[in-house]
Amino acid sequence: MAQSDGEQRSGAPRDLHLTEVSKRFGDFVAVDDLTLTVPEGAFFALLGPSGCGKTTTLRMVAGLEDPTAGTVSIGAEDITGLKPYKRPVNTVFQSYALFPHLTIFENIAFGLRRRGVKDVKRQTDDMLRLVQLEQYGGRKPAQLSGGQQQRVALGRALINEPGVLLLDEPLGALDLKLRRQMQLELKRIQTEIGITFVHVTHDQEEAMTMADTIAVMNSGVIEQMGAPTELYENPRTTFVANFLGQSNLVSTDVVDSSGSTVIVDCHGQKVGVDESRSHTDQGKGWLGIRPEKIFASQRDSEDLEDGNQLTGGVVSDVSFVGVSTQYLVRMPWGQELMVFEQNTGQRQSFKSGDEVDLAWSPQHSFLLDADQDAAAGAVREDVG
Amino acid sequence: MSKPLSSQVSRRGFMRGASLSALAVGGSGLLASCGTEGAKVEEGSCESTDKSESEQEVSFSNWPLYLDPIKAKDTSTLEKFEQVTGIAVSYDTDVNDNLSFKAKVAPQLQACKSTSRDVFVLTDWMAAQMIELGWLQELDHANMPNVDANLLDSLKSPSWDPERKYSVPWQSGMTGIAYNAELTDPVTSFQQLLTRPELKGKITLLTEMRDTMLFMLLMQGADPEDFTDDEFSNAIAELQKYVDNGQVRRFTGNDYTDDLKQGNVAACEAWSGDIAALGNPKFKWLAPEEGISLWSDNMLVPNLAEHKTNVEKLINFYYEPVNAAKLAAWNYYFCPVKGAEDEIAQFDKSAVGNPLIFPAEDMLSRGYTFMGLDATQDKNYQAQFNQVQGG
Amino acid sequence: MNPSATEAVNVTDKPGQRRGKGWLLLVPGMLWLLMFFLFPTVQLFFTSLYDPSGSFEQGYAMTWHFQNYADAIKETSDLFVRSFLYAGITTLVCLLLAYPLAYAIAFKSGRWKNVMLVLVIAPFFTSFLLRTLSWQAILADQGPVTGFLRALAILPDDGRLLATPIAVVAGLIYNFLPFMTLPLYASLDKVDHRLIEAAGDLYSSPFTGFRKVTLPLSMPGLVSGTLLTFIPASGDYINAELLGTPREYMLGNRIQSAFLVEQNYPLAATLSLSLMLLVVVMVILYIRRSGTEELV
Repeated sequence: MAQSDGEQRSGAPRDLHLTEVSKRFGDFVAVDDLTLTVPEGAFFALLGPSGCGKTTTLRMVAGLEDPTAGTVSIGAEDITGLKPYKRPVNTVFQSYALFPHLTIFENIAFGLRRRGVKDVKRQTDDMLRLVQLEQYGGRKPAQLSGGQQQRVALGRALINEPGVLLLDEPLGALDLKLRRQMQLELKRIQTEIGITFVHVTHDQEEAMTMADTIAVMNSGVIEQMGAPTELYENPRTTFVANFLGQSNLVSTDVVDSSGSTVIVDCHGQKVGVDESRSHTDQGKGWLGIRPEKIFASQRDSEDLEDGNQLTGGVVSDVSFVGVSTQYLVRMPWGQELMVFEQNTGQRQSFKSGDEVDLAWSPQHSFLLDADQDAAAGAVREDVG
Repeated sequence: MSKPLSSQVSRRGFMRGASLSALAVGGSGLLASCGTEGAKVEEGSCESTDKSESEQEVSFSNWPLYLDPIKAKDTSTLEKFEQVTGIAVSYDTDVNDNLSFKAKVAPQLQACKSTSRDVFVLTDWMAAQMIELGWLQELDHANMPNVDANLLDSLKSPSWDPERKYSVPWQSGMTGIAYNAELTDPVTSFQQLLTRPELKGKITLLTEMRDTMLFMLLMQGADPEDFTDDEFSNAIAELQKYVDNGQVRRFTGNDYTDDLKQGNVAACEAWSGDIAALGNPKFKWLAPEEGISLWSDNMLVPNLAEHKTNVEKLINFYYEPVNAAKLAAWNYYFCPVKGAEDEIAQFDKSAVGNPLIFPAEDMLSRGYTFMGLDATQDKNYQAQFNQVQGG
Repeated sequence: MNPSATEAVNVTDKPGQRRGKGWLLLVPGMLWLLMFFLFPTVQLFFTSLYDPSGSFEQGYAMTWHFQNYADAIKETSDLFVRSFLYAGITTLVCLLLAYPLAYAIAFKSGRWKNVMLVLVIAPFFTSFLLRTLSWQAILADQGPVTGFLRALAILPDDGRLLATPIAVVAGLIYNFLPFMTLPLYASLDKVDHRLIEAAGDLYSSPFTGFRKVTLPLSMPGLVSGTLLTFIPASGDYINAELLGTPREYMLGNRIQSAFLVEQNYPLAATLSLSLMLLVVVMVILYIRRSGTEELV
């Protein structure tokens, strides 16, 4: 079906544009002067904790909320003032919102019938096949499992070949295993039909698994937008550093930012950060290192790698989680740093009380402005 | 998928229901499938002991607007009775018409159960029926010397209770026409009441067959004291005409006074005393040109009433001329008590010679009482009359 | 991903071994129905077959007089027609009044929801009879409503409201409106607002969304509301008695007078059972037609 209006697509790209969009509920600013573009055909994720404005943004695209200011457009068409039922946008709702009084077939055919499309039967059957529910067309939603209902919701929206498909926490109600399965499934379908997906989620893993581009939202603004690896490896704010994965943030003073490697003083020990990953060049800064990037070695052993080093740590906690072992290492200045080591079986694990030195490559750390809260984004509702 | 299941369940449910109802049919068949016994209670088969000695109380059912206000402490006759005798009276105005009151107490009386009432007041013909059915207790005249002394001679021996063994008149009265002088010119005949176009939908008639049909028969030129089935049927057909054309708004019991007071009704068939007792000069009562219906309402003690002696004391009390006078001066019905006229002169000169309380001979001479009916006639006529009332 | 059949919820799978004990819960209700519904109904059935030439005073003989039914229905066919006509109009108007009301309470009343619900059932705090009596005063010929309508020339100068079919039907509507409103409210309140959003998202205008989603989902309330209104309204006699004239009398009035005034028990029983039977047939046809057996 992606081919059916391919002609239109090859003309003006039907990118989704949000321009200076704001939404206020009374005094509360849910979305603050948001501007962003989702290229046609992208799998785009809006990631953030609950209350960050991501769902409100989605609802403004769907037309279920009116922006207080700003415009929403698809391609060249301004849809800001359009009623939801006139927008070339469909939504997969968090609760699925399947019509309980209609069969699965009729749920999926709903949009087609409203638009007076002919050929409902064939298109609906095709869609049932695509979401792998051929034999369930005659059932009612309550007779399906959660995963099946999710696929109905998806099919019901996709059949309309929307310019943009909005997914509001579509996998939130599924258990972990099924969610993993559906993540891959969604990605497969999106790749197959090429429709723009805008996916709202608070689950960073889900976002990273599926999306080409992730926008991390916090308090109504986008903190950072980019490809999943870029956001992970080179976060620009402490919020992103903490919300996507885990980070050790160590207070440092910038010593020299003239070279391609910025040198910082970390409680008396000097370490370097790639210039491309330094987001401050003077005064104080947060040095960020992902726990899995750190290599711990016995105090003063030859194992210690070149590059950045911080010495004088003591293992204060060891937890074995199967694929890896997670250490807490108390540094001389009192901070505990996380260190994850893969259980390759190459060497013995440390015990609590062992004295260790830490090392990592300058390309694997980042430097953030010290004005930010080091704990921002760290506390989040962990749903898995 | 759920369909076959649900129909399965309902089929099973139905089967159980069906077997239960079969059970019920078997059990109850004995009761209703054989018809009903007559309503007559054989003499001596339903007697009770009188508890008047130990329980100083009386339960009294009467028509509305028939007793001077109980709450008026200084003048209330009932209050005076309670003070004099120490008997507490529980007074209810739950008689709205004879038939519905009978229907209310019939299930108990025919089965010899208590009606929880010691005395009620019903019209002659209904009193006659109840005596016939054996539903009433015989009164002891030794406890009511005032009755023997003061009951008007004309009321002493009606054909249906020649020795007043079961009944003592409460009041007598006339049925005629009442009108609201603010809404209409005087309505002086039944003919006018039923035919004047400006009264269309603004008149009511009484649910009492004997009252209403008496006038219908008179209008037809028949004698209400002696008529044939055909004459009655013709009168019914005539009445049906006025119901069908909307002249008659409703048929009412004693509650006709509500419509009259609210101004919904400009004129109506009415009982003589009620209108005066309403106490508003715009409401007038008059004797229609065709004649008037005369009747008495009687105090009756039903079977299993447990305070008959107390009732007899009550009757005796109201047959003292001074008390009778007080009552009549308020309810404006014929007073059945000799000497009341002299008493009334003591406190209300205007009531002396009031034709509503002390009827003049010439008015009584225009009065009729409805023909006595046997059970078959009664049923037949009543059915025809109800047919008209029931639309 | 392999959608396997086991993923589906198997609705026929019920804990069968418990069924035997579950029936025990029905026993009190069944006994109650047996004693106070089935038994009297059977009695009524026998009574309806008594010899019509009997009387209360002389007793009624059981003669299995099935002719009673033909006679009674022939004699009172106009009353049946009128009863169902009035009840039908009442149901229709109640529906038109109650639906927007229930909709507003369910979706638009916000924190006033409970207050509004209490207001809907507030009339029940007063007796049915008293409320109808007060309608007598409201609609009285000299009353404010009639005066107002006369002033607007909607009613002629000698026109009236009380003692007309309008008054009777208005009284019925007033008295049965809560019976329509409450089930409708209960149904509408359960309608997930997100479904209406989803309908909008799927190209339904607000009206189409209402027609295709809200209305079908409120059908259980609508069906039970119409039944709860139509059934008692068709058997009512108080409104016709107090607000009408003999020309507005309904079947209930005839039954009432047959039972309580004439004591013509066979006629009253015949009419009662005929009405009951007709209503049951109508209800079954109605439920079949509205196809909501599963939902009700």
